[in-house]
Amino acid sequence: MRPLLSALRLLLGAAPWAMARGAALSLLVLLMGAALLGLSGWFIAATGLAGLAGIGIAFDVFRPSAGVRFLALGRTAARYGERLLTHDATLRALSALRVALLRRFAALDARGLARLRGEGALTRIVADVDALDGLVLRLALPVLAGLAAHLLVFAALGWLAGWPVALAVLLGWLPAAALILWRLGRAPSDEAEARGQALWRGVIDAIRDRDALILSGRLAAAEAGLADLDRAARAAAAAVDRADRAAGAALSVLAPVAAALALLAGAALIERGAAGVAVAGIGVFVALALAETVLPLRRGFGELGRMAGAARRLSPGDVARAAGGAAEPAPGAPALEIRRGGFALRLMPGEAVALTGASGAGKTTILMEIAGLLPAEGVALWGRAPADWTEGPLRDRLAALPQRSALIAGTVRDNLSLSGPVPEAALWAALEAAALAGTVRARGGLDARLGEGGAGLSGGEAKRLALARALIRKPSLLLLDEPTEGLDAATAARVLEGARRALPEAAILAALHRGADHPVFTRRAHLGA
Amino acid sequence: MEEAGEAARARRRRAKARIIAPVARELRAAGALSVAAGAVWPAQAAAIAWAISEWAAGAPPMQAALPAAAFLVLGGLLRAALGHAAGRLHFRAADRTIARERAALIGREARAPSAAGSAAIAALAVQKLPLLQPWITRYQAALARVAALPLLLLALAFSLSWPVGLTLLVAGPLIPVFMALVGMAAEAASRRRLDEIGSMNSMLMDRLSALLDIRLLGATERVSAEFAARAEALRERTMAVLRIAFLSSTVLELFSALGVALVAVFVGFTLLGEIGFGSWGRPLTLGEGVFLLLIAPEFFQPLRELAAAWHDRAAGFALVEELEALDAAPRAAPLGRAAEAPPLPGPFSLKATGAAAALPGRATPLPEIALGPGGRLALTGPSGAGKSAALAALAGLLPLAAGRVEVCGRRLDDESADGWRARIAFMPQRAHFPDRPLRDWLDPKGGGADPAPALALADAAEIVARLPEGLGARLGETGGGVSGGEARRLMVARAVMAGGDLLLADEPTADLDPETAARVIAALMALNREGRALIVATHDPALIAAMGASVEIPA
Repeated sequence: MRPLLSALRLLLGAAPWAMARGAALSLLVLLMGAALLGLSGWFIAATGLAGLAGIGIAFDVFRPSAGVRFLALGRTAARYGERLLTHDATLRALSALRVALLRRFAALDARGLARLRGEGALTRIVADVDALDGLVLRLALPVLAGLAAHLLVFAALGWLAGWPVALAVLLGWLPAAALILWRLGRAPSDEAEARGQALWRGVIDAIRDRDALILSGRLAAAEAGLADLDRAARAAAAAVDRADRAAGAALSVLAPVAAALALLAGAALIERGAAGVAVAGIGVFVALALAETVLPLRRGFGELGRMAGAARRLSPGDVARAAGGAAEPAPGAPALEIRRGGFALRLMPGEAVALTGASGAGKTTILMEIAGLLPAEGVALWGRAPADWTEGPLRDRLAALPQRSALIAGTVRDNLSLSGPVPEAALWAALEAAALAGTVRARGGLDARLGEGGAGLSGGEAKRLALARALIRKPSLLLLDEPTEGLDAATAARVLEGARRALPEAAILAALHRGADHPVFTRRAHLGA
Repeated sequence: MEEAGEAARARRRRAKARIIAPVARELRAAGALSVAAGAVWPAQAAAIAWAISEWAAGAPPMQAALPAAAFLVLGGLLRAALGHAAGRLHFRAADRTIARERAALIGREARAPSAAGSAAIAALAVQKLPLLQPWITRYQAALARVAALPLLLLALAFSLSWPVGLTLLVAGPLIPVFMALVGMAAEAASRRRLDEIGSMNSMLMDRLSALLDIRLLGATERVSAEFAARAEALRERTMAVLRIAFLSSTVLELFSALGVALVAVFVGFTLLGEIGFGSWGRPLTLGEGVFLLLIAPEFFQPLRELAAAWHDRAAGFALVEELEALDAAPRAAPLGRAAEAPPLPGPFSLKATGAAAALPGRATPLPEIALGPGGRLALTGPSGAGKSAALAALAGLLPLAAGRVEVCGRRLDDESADGWRARIAFMPQRAHFPDRPLRDWLDPKGGGADPAPALALADAAEIVARLPEGLGARLGETGGGVSGGEARRLMVARAVMAGGDLLLADEPTADLDPETAARVIAALMALNREGRALIVATHDPALIAAMGASVEIPA
């Protein structure tokens, strides 16, 4: 429950003023709806009585009938405003939620960040974010407005028609509605979502592993497995539907029950002589009109379990990084020093070292440790452990090209200026250094658009663009993970020279399979398995 | 916007024939129940009207209230029960439809995949197919109700007061006129909102998958701020559209609100005696007035329901269009049943003469091949020449367009394919690790043998040893936790576990550094020394040299 509440706080806090206006108009719509039916009912009963008594001429018809028209038009106008304001508020909240998530996930370690690459993980995150989108519009605002409407109607009815009628309407609706919705909130909607995810996963596995499944004669078995997953997913959906339908049926009985109670209370008032016939009947009409405050809640509560699960999965957990305090290098310390069992390395400004070792020897891991994205032991950056650095100053001094770097959708310029606007000349200089200027020019310059994930560039080109992006940062320490992967020997050599020339003062550590004997490197360090 | 034209109409007809017609009977029954539920309300309204008119007539108030209250509640129970039963039928119809379409989709794509890709198919089968449900349930229920209930209420209103009936009649039919407009506008609005969320989500996915780079560039704050700014711009554009879309749906509300208000005011004036016409020559009673007021909102309710469900229908049509596109997509099915079968008898041999593999839409020729037990052969050639297709055809994963492939002295066809595959192993170019323990993945046939010797032979024992959970590790979607070369060695181990007389390997050393490639080649050679024949598709000179024999597939 706590993650759900913190998600709610986040969403409501995104646009508190817009939310408040939306909620106020929602309430106004509900109140005007109840008043419209109540006033109309009273008007008809009162005119009927006046007609029976033969005093129709004396009856003031204009104020009530003007009230009826005003409420009908006003309610429509308020409804329009409510729709606009709540959608506006929700759109603000949608964006706030996504931005908050970006910040939150950015604090993950290297493994967590790498996991975000998987389409399964991304699909799940987006599905969860989508589920939370309904939290305000379908749950929080209607609950608040509905509850407030019931309380205000209670006060108004008590004053107008008498407390027994007000109490009958309140008790006819609220306790039972709360109970039914609470039960509906426990519907296994998150389970249904999980079953759907399992089926999704299963379909992907079956299609991607098709060759192996056919070879091992297990395709039929895999199909049967998928059929089981489908059955489970549909059974879970059916369970949610059952709960939803039961709640719907129970809620639909409440309006007649509340109206019946109001009718009895009205009769009691007339018997006691405490109210006239027209006034005693108001409660019945209002009780019927209040259905509007409760029935729309069904959908939101049906998804409550799903929303709670989504909020739990998206909640920060323990990803927060211990914020170190160091912002300045220790005087006289080398840019990088590693000292651990069997491996030692000391890197001074202007030096370039090739880090070699077989696949799986841990080259990538050690680079991520240096970059402060994995717990490091025996690593010092300018005399301090990576974890002791404050994030901002550390990123200003250290840039890293990960093994599988990712580009964003947008232009070449968007990608290069991810970390801030850069003068045009510096952009071209970096592209030149990464041996990519010619390619970019041929594709239409800095404003050439790339597809999602940099689609449209070859693997090697994408890698060089990511390198240019790192060079633009002008770091004092540059970490390169397989900078020449996917490049032919000549381009690889140009790229290494370009990086050196672009950052003559920087210390460079490059993990590579090939090209470790390039003259750029002053030394080689071998990482044993 | 609904497309005009014969093609669009034909498409909608096909969609209805495919989705709605098979469950038409249930839908009729459910519609009848749903209409019956709606028809209970006038009786309940009459009970309320009766009680109030009894009060006005001076009868003992409780004596009127008690039976009316009981009737009201009983009516409510009946209405709930009817609605519940209708809902169950609707859900069942939707569930059956989804089950049928999903089974067809999955069964076909798993056997003979189209070019759509696994992610698109999974999204279609799991996330999009359920979009058929509101079309079958909500929209069809609203359709049934709108056809019957307004007419019933209109008849009741006319029987008591023709001006009230006329008011409803005028306001009512105007609504369908507006509804086309409003429905489309609502559709545009909801699509706009979905588009907004869609583009925000794809931006979120894009940034999340680049988040490692963003963090390393120290760009977290800037990217977050930029995301917020772009979302804000999207919001402003969306609100501009919604302002108009909501305005048109407000028209619907306005009509129903004004209809109710007009009825109330007209009835009030009639009861006062200020209006003397309309009730068929006799005075309108108080009870009748209350009754008219109570049924007026219900007259508009089905129309509003239909308007709200309008886009469910459009979503259903769009989905069927996607399904139809997949029906028509070219695909190639494997030979045989792809089920377990006893291995083909006889000594191992493989011979291809004049054969060509049938890919969807084209055929690629196979080289002449003759291989005996323990033989080695490299299929070489430039990318795109059809090396992978040739391997797939030899394994019976693709049908032949021409010529003949002989396996163990028999023709490779639907009869022999399953038995042939029981004698061979296949190593695809790309590893896919499902969400299962490595132990299960290594042993696809489920023989339960100890994987240690296979791992040792494939030079992969240390990889498993390094994984925190060893053989119990789940490598997940992209093989996270193992490098490309490690994944290849694990695939060799998997092929060893699969056993058989022949290993077909597709580009086993692609994208590997020389050191790692050498280890994979050594593992393959170790397999060959055990007496297994080996065919690889490759353009790696080191591997071609190790294989000894090679045959080129020209581009």
